[in-house]
Amino acid sequence: MSQTGEILSNVNLKGDYYSIEFYAPETAASAQPGQFVHVKIGDDRGDWILRRPFSICNTDPEKGIVNVVYKVVGKGTAALAKTAPGVCCDVMGPLGNGFVPVPGTIPVAVCGGYGAAATFMLTRQKEKGVLLLGARSTADIILTERYEAAGFDVRLATNDGSAGTKGFVTDLIPQLLAENPGKKYCFYACGPHPMLMALARQLRSLGEMGQLSIDHRMCCGVGSCFACVVKVNAPGTADGWRYARSCSEGPVFNLEDVYVEE
Amino acid sequence: MADLAVDLGKFQLKNPVMTASGTFGYGFEYNKYYDISQLGAVVVKGIRMTPSHGNPTPRVAEVTGGMLNAIGLQGPGVEKFLHGEEYMPFLRKTGASVIVNIWGTTVAEYAEVAERLEADKEGITALEINISCPNVKAGGAAFGTDTALAAEVISAVRKATTLPLITKLSPNVTKITDFAKTAEDCGSDAVSLINTLSAMSIDIETRRPVLANKTGGLSGPAVKPVAVRMVYETARAVKIPVIGMGGIMTAEDAIEFFLAGATAIAVGTANFVDPFAPVKVIAVINDYLDRHNCKSIYDIIGKVETA
Repeated sequence: MSQTGEILSNVNLKGDYYSIEFYAPETAASAQPGQFVHVKIGDDRGDWILRRPFSICNTDPEKGIVNVVYKVVGKGTAALAKTAPGVCCDVMGPLGNGFVPVPGTIPVAVCGGYGAAATFMLTRQKEKGVLLLGARSTADIILTERYEAAGFDVRLATNDGSAGTKGFVTDLIPQLLAENPGKKYCFYACGPHPMLMALARQLRSLGEMGQLSIDHRMCCGVGSCFACVVKVNAPGTADGWRYARSCSEGPVFNLEDVYVEE
Repeated sequence: MADLAVDLGKFQLKNPVMTASGTFGYGFEYNKYYDISQLGAVVVKGIRMTPSHGNPTPRVAEVTGGMLNAIGLQGPGVEKFLHGEEYMPFLRKTGASVIVNIWGTTVAEYAEVAERLEADKEGITALEINISCPNVKAGGAAFGTDTALAAEVISAVRKATTLPLITKLSPNVTKITDFAKTAEDCGSDAVSLINTLSAMSIDIETRRPVLANKTGGLSGPAVKPVAVRMVYETARAVKIPVIGMGGIMTAEDAIEFFLAGATAIAVGTANFVDPFAPVKVIAVINDYLDRHNCKSIYDIIGKVETA
């Protein structure tokens, strides 16, 4: 569950987005869509000491390869972006509960920005599905070629209208449903918190099935520190909700369990 | 192999490496990685009478040489702790020495939790009284930064249980030895120190505190020299054993605490970086003792040369 993952490749996709491959055979052997790895970048004890969690984008179990797509957002990921192949990073994982494909439904990945990395392994399902991808602008649209190559129908929405529909990713859902009335879909989502909450409200009002990958700033990654909690429904309790650890009880939660504030 | 067993007065441990409360969950999470009964003791996350949500998120922030946390003692409450499958029933099955960290928002609640655990104490080695959490509005450090209030809490808990008591001290005081002496006078069998240092981090782009709680507790390598100094002073001020903690990432760090006078130590933040940290610390302490021809851990406890 913890291995010295040699970096096999580490390439810039565009802007601040990178795709990295680790040699991590134990992780590659069992990773499910939506699970994550917890990576120690270098052995620095100064500017950062904690691991960094990354969704597993793809694996090659035969070659023992784990692929992660990440964005440079701080010191840790900036250092990772400068790390050359051959260097080893301690890779823990797979961690967390992933997406559980629902047989007999068409998979629809609903993602914000590089959240599309978390749902990519759903393209391994026999049933070819749809990627609804939202982003601020075309500069934040990544991974669409991979989804298309895997046979997924890719549809875009950007806040500035620079790619696809101008608006939010949730705006793409009514049309999808109208195209094929009677088809059964399951929505699998990963993205920023406000997007996920808007999606949860929408899917509930439409009566659709869904699974949402929700997390918060993570620390231990294994359920011991209670840093990364998110609100889930807790029927029968005074407040009706409780804080669940996104690392060990999530990051993927069923739509019914997600607590949506009024 | 040197003898690692230590005597903490009212209880003995097979080795002096414990886990710091709040950094090891309830043991369940780490038993997936190794047999937690190898540890000197497992100190679980703080338990009070009722379940607690804890603080809003973000609850952690990384800083140079460490991290801030303001979890706010989220927990299941004492009944679920005693009966929930992944808590005490699980810990009993592992055979680990279990130390239960307890807290309350009133003196009466501290005593009540101790009494409840006393009634179901099979598998519990000791209680650790948390009068030092900086992240809860009521309880915690409110009792640990005033010697009169600390005395009230410790005395009340002492009356409520026959279990060995450890008092966990706050570093956010002018003179920590005053609090150690108070603990000793009120019947505490040991003291543990340090809890986290009250701290703050601000995002300069948004001009907002990084933590939702605004302030939090600093832990990790940055606090170690402060903790070593406090352990050194405390070990000279009281007769009861001192359990040292604060930024211990490696066995080398732990050995500094033993030399300063700690009879046992706890690994905290390091658990978040490397789940195997405490077992690695045990192994390397053994190597160090062998290399220095020490037959027992007592050959280094309090043996800092200050002459």
